[in-house]
Amino acid sequence: MFAARTLFAFSCLVLLALIMLPSGAQAQSADADNGEVVYFERCVGCHGDEGDGLGPAAERLNPPPRDFTLGQYKFKTTGFDDIVPNDVDLIRMIRDGMPGTAMPGWSDVLSDQEILDLVAYIKIFAALDEETPSDQVDYGSQIATSPESIAKGRELFLQDDRCAECHGQEGRGDAIKKLKDDNGERTWPRNLTKPWTFRASNAPKDIFSRISVGIPGTQMPSFADPVSKKKLTIEERWHVANYVASLAETKKVVAPEKTVIKALKVSDALPTSPEDALWQTAESATFFLVPQIIAEQRFFMPSNDTVTVRALFDDETLALLVEWDDRTKSIPGDAKAESIANAEMSEDAIAVQFPVTIPSGMEKPYFLMGDAANPVNLWHWSSGSTEAPETVSLMDASGAETLAAREAAPAGMAGEGVYRDGTWRVVLRRALTTGDAENDTQFAEGTLIPVSIFAWDGSNSEVGSKHTLTTWYWLRLGAPGGGSSYIAAIIVALSVGALELWWLYSVRRRRVAGQT
Amino acid sequence: MMLLKMKIPALLRLVLTLVGFWGAFRIVFDVILGELIPASLLTMYMFFVAAGVFMVFTFTEKGTRELLAPIKALVEDPTKKMLRNIVFVIVPLALGAVIWQVSMPSFEAPVELRSIHPAPPSSVKVFGKRFDLRTLKNPYRVLEKEDPEQFSELVAEGAKVYIANCQYCHGDKLDGAGPYAQGLNPTPINFQDIGTIAQLQESFLFWRIATGGPGLPSEAAPWLSSMPVWQNFLTEEEIWQVILFLYDYTGHRPRSFESGESGESGEGH
Repeated sequence: MFAARTLFAFSCLVLLALIMLPSGAQAQSADADNGEVVYFERCVGCHGDEGDGLGPAAERLNPPPRDFTLGQYKFKTTGFDDIVPNDVDLIRMIRDGMPGTAMPGWSDVLSDQEILDLVAYIKIFAALDEETPSDQVDYGSQIATSPESIAKGRELFLQDDRCAECHGQEGRGDAIKKLKDDNGERTWPRNLTKPWTFRASNAPKDIFSRISVGIPGTQMPSFADPVSKKKLTIEERWHVANYVASLAETKKVVAPEKTVIKALKVSDALPTSPEDALWQTAESATFFLVPQIIAEQRFFMPSNDTVTVRALFDDETLALLVEWDDRTKSIPGDAKAESIANAEMSEDAIAVQFPVTIPSGMEKPYFLMGDAANPVNLWHWSSGSTEAPETVSLMDASGAETLAAREAAPAGMAGEGVYRDGTWRVVLRRALTTGDAENDTQFAEGTLIPVSIFAWDGSNSEVGSKHTLTTWYWLRLGAPGGGSSYIAAIIVALSVGALELWWLYSVRRRRVAGQT
Repeated sequence: MMLLKMKIPALLRLVLTLVGFWGAFRIVFDVILGELIPASLLTMYMFFVAAGVFMVFTFTEKGTRELLAPIKALVEDPTKKMLRNIVFVIVPLALGAVIWQVSMPSFEAPVELRSIHPAPPSSVKVFGKRFDLRTLKNPYRVLEKEDPEQFSELVAEGAKVYIANCQYCHGDKLDGAGPYAQGLNPTPINFQDIGTIAQLQESFLFWRIATGGPGLPSEAAPWLSSMPVWQNFLTEEEIWQVILFLYDYTGHRPRSFESGESGESGEGH
């Protein structure tokens, strides 16, 4: 009898523990007062005393810090018509941060309890602490990804411009609309091929909840809303989620150890068009673009984030393919382009920077357009306007303030750009050597040549000193393989073989000597 | 039990020891410290490890004989002729292949050694004035004891300067991991790290902030640093305030000129 009662009590305890486990975090009590202490130590800098997001960096960040007084959050897993997020949603944002924004993850600094306390405090700004979510996202049963599901998802994505209207035909967020959030701030549709910029992850489940809930406070609607003309069933939403997850362009993920652009030597004619298939034979390297905040006028709110480069060369010419995702094709004078752009649109542009003299030691020109002792060349391409076609020019600089353009053709330079589905692809070519070593970079096979990239998104008010750039990387012209390496390898193999034979011979001689 | 009693041949032991060291380096650096060990560093470590292990194994003549026994047997034992022939073909081919690999034109970027905390000049001219860096002190530091309330207000001002100007690269958490940090080389300084501001005097920070990347001496590669020249954008007071904030937030203490006062006794850089 006693044993049975103990067993019963024990079972109850286990059951209770099991019930509490999944929501363990919420079961702990949160202390909003302690949350306030943490807030004023860690968060106030950006989110402000009043929680309105108007900290000192508000005007220099896009997206700006969250305004907690509105009680709207970029992702939540409660029902689409429920303003209140789940605590786990808020915990996740604080713990893991918001990729693609200035919000870092805090799990290395704050304990789980502190994060919980912080959530309790932050909710007070919009009186969310007085409400409980009534509705949750209905995930139904997840449909695993498959080629069929992805194909169905693509169909739904494109159908009646459901998603493509803002996210573009290929999902690069190349908007045909100028989007604003409820506060009137400019927002950009997500480039779905860059999953590392998703605020939540690109796991199909997270994408499913985005599609179901929408993004509160923005023009991303709920596709679970029964009154929506574009609504999707649970099953359909899983297909779209699987399709969106499949769009990730992993080749455009920056690999930090990849600091050298490997130029491949070709025997065929060098491509002049950015869409030539020959480019695919060259290995790509992708670099981060950062805004120019060193020289006046400084620039804090970039839209371009990475650039991908490929290089090919033959005996006479070096050709570079520079590729970057840009949501807007900025052609001044074009009515459609003007309607999407910020006020005063300029041309999109790219420039590839080389030192005029390839350094033999460590010293390079200053990475922002060189310095008095170390001038640079910039191979500059600009998208053109309705009045004038695209332009290619060669620029000289020994410091940002000295930048001057000259004609490209005399140095054997040419270029061509193509914009398609949210991506610019620009080819820049120049003769390996020119007669003017004093002013033009001279390229030689085998040497490491410092190179960096500058980019301008004309629709994002980027012009002149307002641009993004990379730090110095390397370009190396040279085909892998090479004749001399075979010879060394053969010599080594033969001499080792000879040593072995000599060893065997001496062993055998000793054995013969022993026998006689 | 049979396995335990079996004696592992010396040659296999040597190989296992080397593999063990290699694995340990990879685990300590790649997994525990979370930073991939550079191939060049691993090669250097393994060279010393191999030399040491080899010396231990060949310390006595018996040990040497034991180590070389399987190799000797392979060559001299007629029953192992087949195996020997195979090994003797593979070894020269493998070595040739390695040489071919190594002598292929390398696409690797050169290792650029730069001084992270270069020696400061004795004096620096900023804000139109000349400052003697050997004696320069943070004018607000005395308030820490004399007027704690005003001091914490100055720290709060420094926090605003930091958020508006520095966090893009050095990060909200002062850990050198701001939103643009990944695109920079060298990467922004991590102020939380015990090897950075905790080892430096406030005058050093004043010099580094006011003159930025271009103010570095050549051994510190001024052409690479993306640190702006902050005397162009901040006032002298704002620089001293942000320095107060850096120490206050991280809990580090600046090194002082008078030895012992701050309790720090690390070597200079």
